[in-house]
Amino acid sequence: MQGELIVSELVRLALTDPRSLWVLLGLAVGMVLLLLAVNRIPLSYTLRNLSLRWRTTLMTSLAFTLVVGLMVVMLAFTTGMQRMTDGSGQPGNVIVLAEGSIDEAFSNLNVEDLGEIENLPGVRRDEAGQRLASRESYLIVKQPVPHPKPGRSDSRFLQVRGITDAAIAAKVHNIQLKSGSWFSAAGVEDRSGVDSKAAPAIQAVLGEGVAGELAADRTPEEAAAGKNPHRLDVGDRFRLGEKDWVVTGILKSSGATCNSEIWANRAKVGPVFGRENVTTLVLSTADADAAVQLRDFLKNNYAKANILPQVEKEYYAGLSETNQQFLFAIIVITTIMSIGGIFGVMNTMFAAISNRIKDIGVLRILGYARWQILVSFLLESLVIALLGGLLGCALGSLANGLTVNSVVGQGGGGKFVVLELVVDANIWTAGIFVTLLMGGLGGLVPALSAVRLKPLEALR
Amino acid sequence: MKLLSLIVKNVGRNLLRSALTALGTMVLVLVVTLVWSVLHLIDLVTEEKSHDVKAFISERWSVPSRLPYSYASSLCEGAARADHPEDIHPTDAMAWQFYGGTLDPKNPSMKSMVFCIACDPRKVPTMMSGLEGLSATEDAELHRSVERLLAKRDGIILGRNHLLALSQKSKDGKQSMLEDPLGRKFSLSGFSNFKGLDFDFEICGVFPPGRYDTLAVINRDYYNAALDAYPPSHAGVPHPMADRSLSLVVIKVDDMQAYNRVAEQITTSLRFQNPQVKCETESSGVGSFLDAYRDLLWIMRVPLTLACLGTLALVLANAISISVRERRTEMAVLKVLGFRPGQIMFLVIGESVLLGLLAGFTGAGLTYMTINWGFHGLSFPMGFFPVFMIPINALWWGVAVGTGAALAGSLVPALSASRVKPAEVFSKVA
Repeated sequence: MQGELIVSELVRLALTDPRSLWVLLGLAVGMVLLLLAVNRIPLSYTLRNLSLRWRTTLMTSLAFTLVVGLMVVMLAFTTGMQRMTDGSGQPGNVIVLAEGSIDEAFSNLNVEDLGEIENLPGVRRDEAGQRLASRESYLIVKQPVPHPKPGRSDSRFLQVRGITDAAIAAKVHNIQLKSGSWFSAAGVEDRSGVDSKAAPAIQAVLGEGVAGELAADRTPEEAAAGKNPHRLDVGDRFRLGEKDWVVTGILKSSGATCNSEIWANRAKVGPVFGRENVTTLVLSTADADAAVQLRDFLKNNYAKANILPQVEKEYYAGLSETNQQFLFAIIVITTIMSIGGIFGVMNTMFAAISNRIKDIGVLRILGYARWQILVSFLLESLVIALLGGLLGCALGSLANGLTVNSVVGQGGGGKFVVLELVVDANIWTAGIFVTLLMGGLGGLVPALSAVRLKPLEALR
Repeated sequence: MKLLSLIVKNVGRNLLRSALTALGTMVLVLVVTLVWSVLHLIDLVTEEKSHDVKAFISERWSVPSRLPYSYASSLCEGAARADHPEDIHPTDAMAWQFYGGTLDPKNPSMKSMVFCIACDPRKVPTMMSGLEGLSATEDAELHRSVERLLAKRDGIILGRNHLLALSQKSKDGKQSMLEDPLGRKFSLSGFSNFKGLDFDFEICGVFPPGRYDTLAVINRDYYNAALDAYPPSHAGVPHPMADRSLSLVVIKVDDMQAYNRVAEQITTSLRFQNPQVKCETESSGVGSFLDAYRDLLWIMRVPLTLACLGTLALVLANAISISVRERRTEMAVLKVLGFRPGQIMFLVIGESVLLGLLAGFTGAGLTYMTINWGFHGLSFPMGFFPVFMIPINALWWGVAVGTGAALAGSLVPALSASRVKPAEVFSKVA
C-alpha cells in the first residue's frame, strides 16, 4: 500500500506538474544527444544495419508502437478525467453538504438552517441585491432504456439536479446556455390555450453529454425529425419517472461534471422521485480567498447546523481520487508491458551482435574503443525504439477528442460523466520518455556484452 | 518422436534467446491474465442465469433506495397474496438495511467509514453473492461467525479492510488485533443520514478475503432496536431513517419463469406505491450499474487485450525469425537429409509453441499465486467490486494465449524456413 501511494504520488506529480515530466524527458534527450555527440562510428553504419534486417527492425518497432500507443490512449483517459474535475466548480464558491456526507447524493440539509447561512456576510449579492446562494437537490435516478442496444443494459442512471432559482443558479455556477433558455419559474411547459388533458411536461436544461446519451433512445424517425441528430435539443421531449420532460436549453458544459446532468425546477423534481429534501447549498463569494474564509468560518465557528462546507474547487478535486487509482493501474500495466518490450529489443540486439561479431572485431582493430562500440549499439537500440514509439504516440493521438463514459468520485458515491479524451504535450512527453527508457534499457545489456568481445577472438 | 526431441533440443540451443523470449511472454501473459480476470468476474455477475435466479427489489426511481421497513415481510414473500394459491413464493429471501458509521466522529472521512448491512445473519451464507466456492475451512468459519452473530445481537462480521483500519487504531498493537480479532469491541457513530445512530459492536467474525473486504454485516434486530429507541430520547421525534430504513430485498426463485411471475406480483401490487418499487434480476441490476463503465470495459476488452496479444505475437515472431535466419544452413541440411517442408515447418512452429505454452502457463501460474495468495486480490476501482481474484481458469488462459500467440507469430518464419532451397544456401556457404 505504501509503495502504491509513493508511485501514484510520483506519477500524479509527473502528470499534474508538467515540469517534472519535461525535466525527465530533457534528461533522456540530453543523454541521446550526448551519445550522438560522442559517437565516432558513423551513424550511417548503424542505420544501414537496421535497414538490412528491416523485418526484425520492423517487428521490434511495432512492439514499441503497441505499448506506447496503448499508454497514450490510457493516459488520455485520465487526463480527460483530470481536466473534467479541474474544470468543474468555481474558485469563489463554497459547497455546503450535510455533515458526514461523502457525496451530494447522500446529503440531507435541514432547510431551517439554510436561510441564516445564505445571509452570512461573505456571500455575494447580484446587481438586484439578491443573495447568490443556490439551494439544490441532487438525485441519481434510474431510467429504463426504451430500445437497448445488444449487450447493453436495459436501464441507466441519470443525474438530476433540482434548482430553486435558475437565474441565481446560473450566476452562482457561472454557467451559460449553449442554446435555448432556462426553465420558467413554474418549471413546467405553458399549456394555456392547448386543449389537452395530459399533464404539462417538466421543463429541463441538459448538459451536452446527457443530451447525447438520451438522443440514443430515439427511433430513427424521431432522430430524423429532431433538430440535432446527435443529441436532444431545444423542444425535444423525453420520458423520465413516468413524466414527460421537455428540453428548454442546453448547458455550455463541456469539460465539467454538469455536462452529464439534467437541471429542472426543484419543486417539480422532488415529488416525481419522492426526494424533496435539499442536498446541496452553493454559496458564491467574491473570490477564492473569500471562499476559503467562508469555508473556515462555517467549519470552525458556525455551530448552529451540522454541515460540511468545502471550497467547490476542492470538492471536485476530491472526486479525482478514482482518477489516481486508474492512473496507478495504467502505470502498472504500462510498466509490465514495457518490460515485455524491453525483452523483445534485447533479443533483437543480442541477435544483431551475434551476427556482427566479425564487424565488432574489425571495428576494434580499426581503433574504435570499447565505449564507442557501446555507444553505437545503444544508438541502434534507441533508433528502433524511437521509430516505434513516435508512431505509437501518433496513433494514440488519434484518440484525442473521443468521448467516453465513466464515473468520477469517491467510494460509495460518484458522478456519471461523459468525458473527452485529451492527448496533450505532457502525454507525448511521457510517451517519448518511456520509449527512450525502454530502448536504452533494452539495448544496454546487449551493448555491454558486445564491448567485452576480444578483437582476435571475434575474427577467428 | 524424433521431431519432438529435436524441438526440445532446439529450444535449449540458445538459452539466452529462449530465456528472454520466455520472460517477455510471461510478462505479457501476466497483463492479459489480470485484465481477463476483471472482465471474467464482470461477465459472470452480469450473465443471466437460467435457474436459482436472484433478484433485487429496490426503490423504483431513486438511488440510494429508501423503502419503509414495513415493505420487508411482504417483499420477502414476493408479494404473494394469501388468497391466491397460484402466486409464487421465493425459495429464499433477505432484507438489507444499510447503515454507515464512522470510527472517528470528530473527523469523519472515507478512511474511517464502515458501511454495514443490517440483516438476518442466517441468510448471509446462502443469499450473499460471492460467498459461494469458499474452501471448506472458510465456509466453516463463516458459519461459525454467523452463529456468533445470532447469539450476540451487538456482534459484527467485518471485512478485512475494516479490520485493518481498526488494527491501526488499536492500542494493543496491530498484530494482536489481526491475529485474534474475535471479541474485540469498538464503536461506530452514524454519519450523514445515519447521524444520531451510534452503536457499540463486538467482532464475531471476519469475511474471507475478496468481495466483502469493504463491508460489514450486523444483526438487524440491533439496528431496528436503535431506531425504535431513538424517539424517546429525542422529544418523540423519530429518526429520519425510521420510515425509510429498508434498502434492498434480495429474493431467490427457481428459474426465469418464476422470476417473471414474482416480478409481476410485486410491480402490480397496490401495497408498494409510496414509494414505488422495481424488481430486476441480480445480473440486470449489476449490469445497469456497470453500464457507466462500458467504455472503460470496452477499452480493456478490445484495444488493451489486442495490444497485449499483438506485442506478445511480435516478441515471439521476432525471436523465431532471428532463430530461423541464423539456422538456414541447418534447414538446408535437414532438407538434404530428407525432411519434408511440412516437417521443417512443424519443427519451427513446434519450438515457438513449446516456448509459448510453457511461458504462458508459468506466467499465468505466477500471476495466480502472487495476486491471490500474496495480495489477496487485484484492487481495481470499479464500483462496489473492491478486489478481483484471479480464477483458476487463468492457467488455461495462459496456455491458450501463449500457444496462440506463438502459433500466430511463428507461421511466417516457419513458412520461410520450409521454403529454404539447399542449393542456394550451400552456394553461399561455398
